[in-house]
Amino acid sequence: MMRIGVKNLFLHKLRTALTMLGVIFGVGAVIAMLSIGEGARRQAVEQIRLLGTNNIRIHHVELGGEAAAAADYRYSPGLTAGDEKMLRAKLPTLCALSAIRFLDVSVQRAGHEPAGVVVVGVNDEYDDLTNSRTRRGRFISWLDARYARRVCVLGAEIARDLFGVQDALDRRVRIGEEEFLVVGVMERKSVATGGVLEMRNINRDVYIPVAAALKRFTDPDFPDRVDEIAVQVSDAASVVPSSRVIDRILEKSHRGVHDYEIVIPDELLAQSQRTQRIFNIVMGSIAALSLLVGGIGIMNIMLASVTERTREIGIRRAIGASERDILGQFLNETLLIALAGGLIGIVLGAGMAFAIHLFASWETVVSPVAVLVSFGISASVGVIFGLYPARQAAQKDPIEALRYE
Amino acid sequence: MLIDLQALRRVYHMGGSEVVALDELDLQIPAGEFVTIMGPSGSGKSTLMHLLGCLDRPTAGRYVLDGVEVQALQDLELSRLRNQKVGFVFQSFNLIAQLSVSENVQLPLVYAGVRPPERRRRAQELLDAVGLCQRQAHRPNELSGGERQRVAIARALANRPKLLLADEPTGNLDSKTGLGIMKLFEELHQDGTTLVLVTHDPGVAEWSDRVVRMLDGRVESDTSVRLREAGASSGEWREVG
Ligand SMILES: Nc1ncnc2c1ncn2[C@@H]1O[C@H](COP(=O)(O)OP(=O)(O)O)[C@@H](O)[C@H]1O
Ligand SMILES: [Mg+2]
Repeated sequence: MMRIGVKNLFLHKLRTALTMLGVIFGVGAVIAMLSIGEGARRQAVEQIRLLGTNNIRIHHVELGGEAAAAADYRYSPGLTAGDEKMLRAKLPTLCALSAIRFLDVSVQRAGHEPAGVVVVGVNDEYDDLTNSRTRRGRFISWLDARYARRVCVLGAEIARDLFGVQDALDRRVRIGEEEFLVVGVMERKSVATGGVLEMRNINRDVYIPVAAALKRFTDPDFPDRVDEIAVQVSDAASVVPSSRVIDRILEKSHRGVHDYEIVIPDELLAQSQRTQRIFNIVMGSIAALSLLVGGIGIMNIMLASVTERTREIGIRRAIGASERDILGQFLNETLLIALAGGLIGIVLGAGMAFAIHLFASWETVVSPVAVLVSFGISASVGVIFGLYPARQAAQKDPIEALRYE
Repeated sequence: MLIDLQALRRVYHMGGSEVVALDELDLQIPAGEFVTIMGPSGSGKSTLMHLLGCLDRPTAGRYVLDGVEVQALQDLELSRLRNQKVGFVFQSFNLIAQLSVSENVQLPLVYAGVRPPERRRRAQELLDAVGLCQRQAHRPNELSGGERQRVAIARALANRPKLLLADEPTGNLDSKTGLGIMKLFEELHQDGTTLVLVTHDPGVAEWSDRVVRMLDGRVESDTSVRLREAGASSGEWREVG
């Protein structure tokens, strides 16, 4: 009996579809927005977990032109292993500290040379810094670092590429022109791609002592140069103050030359979430506008429907429908349109989220909460914009409605 | 008395002017009676029917239906009363085109809160009673005028109302079909339903116990008749049948 409204909706398929459009896009935008937000949040959490919490990273900055000349003039050699030693000496309270040097050399075993390998010179605290562990054997030790031993720890994928199912421990690999002993294999880590922090696939890292990297693969122009120094402090509150202290120390030792850059990953992520907020405001505005337009569209259609069905309203009233019954009937119909639009919108939004994931390679997650919120929004649109037409229907004079042609 | 009207007034306001459709009307109808209301166009017959059917409220006066003071009721109670105690039959049938015959008949039961299986069963019974058991799944526009009016009557009877109101029920029908409808009303009357029927047709009036003539919102004359029992066979309905 109450299905007349539904029948009418199917009768006027195009009209109904057009009516739903606003709600569809509105809810779609809501879902896309929430899923991008949720994806970014999870990715941020994941990246922080991967990088290690409470990190400060000091990057070497290659200077050019006049700045390079000034650096030469003031004898600033850029970021060096010496900086690491100095920081360690001046700031004994730091949790962990490691110079990092990336090498562009091949890694091979028995003539087999896997692609995409990054050889990284680190010291013994690097594993704690990055929350990583070995699956087999041990990480680079203090002695390895001290004596620049030719030992290495393989990333999970590289170990598999070089040794397959065999145990890599105590075997030798050739790094550049030198033989290195495998002392450990890292646990596999899930790698979040994309996002604010450019992440390499650390499962393809090969770690050697940074001293060995400097000694065996010396850059003749900058023999002591490292690419990065990673610092870990004890708690989140001391990240920023520590970074200031480090900056002051380096500023002095580099004689005012800014050939280094201090990066706080946590800050970067927070910043990216602020960027996210702008995006949310834009998407939220689109959603609100679509929902408003959609709601007005629904109201319009329902007003037309109420007029069209004046006689039906009169008949229903004559056989015992109360004003409340009529109100409920039309409100239900509006709710139905809005919820149907919402459902399509959710599917569309999920599709949009997936497309964004594919093409922009942003992490997106359609959470159950987002779906619930969307249904709630659709229902609200239905009720808010359905109330006026439904009241118009309910307040029609039954006798005049019966006379309506 | 099933119906007791005392000094009933209904005034319409049209712009600045007032139209007195019912003017201090007094009328009593006992349960089980078959009353015909006649009168020239504009004399207030339809207005009276709407008031009797609880679709409208009087401007002044008193209306007691089956012991309930109707003029004091709010919409919800009025609707319930309409649903339970009154059945309406209109000149223009007033079936809902989008619903099937059976669904139309079930509609008063929907508002009475009857469950679907019971509703369908009752609709079947009612349609059987008006001779339309084969037409349940049809749409109203697939039926003839007489059949539509039978559906409307079945619908009016759905909640077994005490009062059946019919405003010119044969007005849109040819005389032969009209006769069939009148026979149906007569049967309902025999079963004890109180019937109030508006007509312009003296032949239709002959079926009733009592004829109330209205003029300018008042009762002009009120006569008890039982023409058929008196043996007078002058009504044109009779000749057709
Ligand atoms: N909704 C209305 N607004 C104004 N006047 C009305 C309305 N309905 C009926 N009337 C007037 O009330 C009087 C009685 O009308 P009605 O009850 O329809 O008479 P009948 O059914 O006997 O032809 C008429 O003068 C009519 O014009
Ligand atoms: Mg009339």
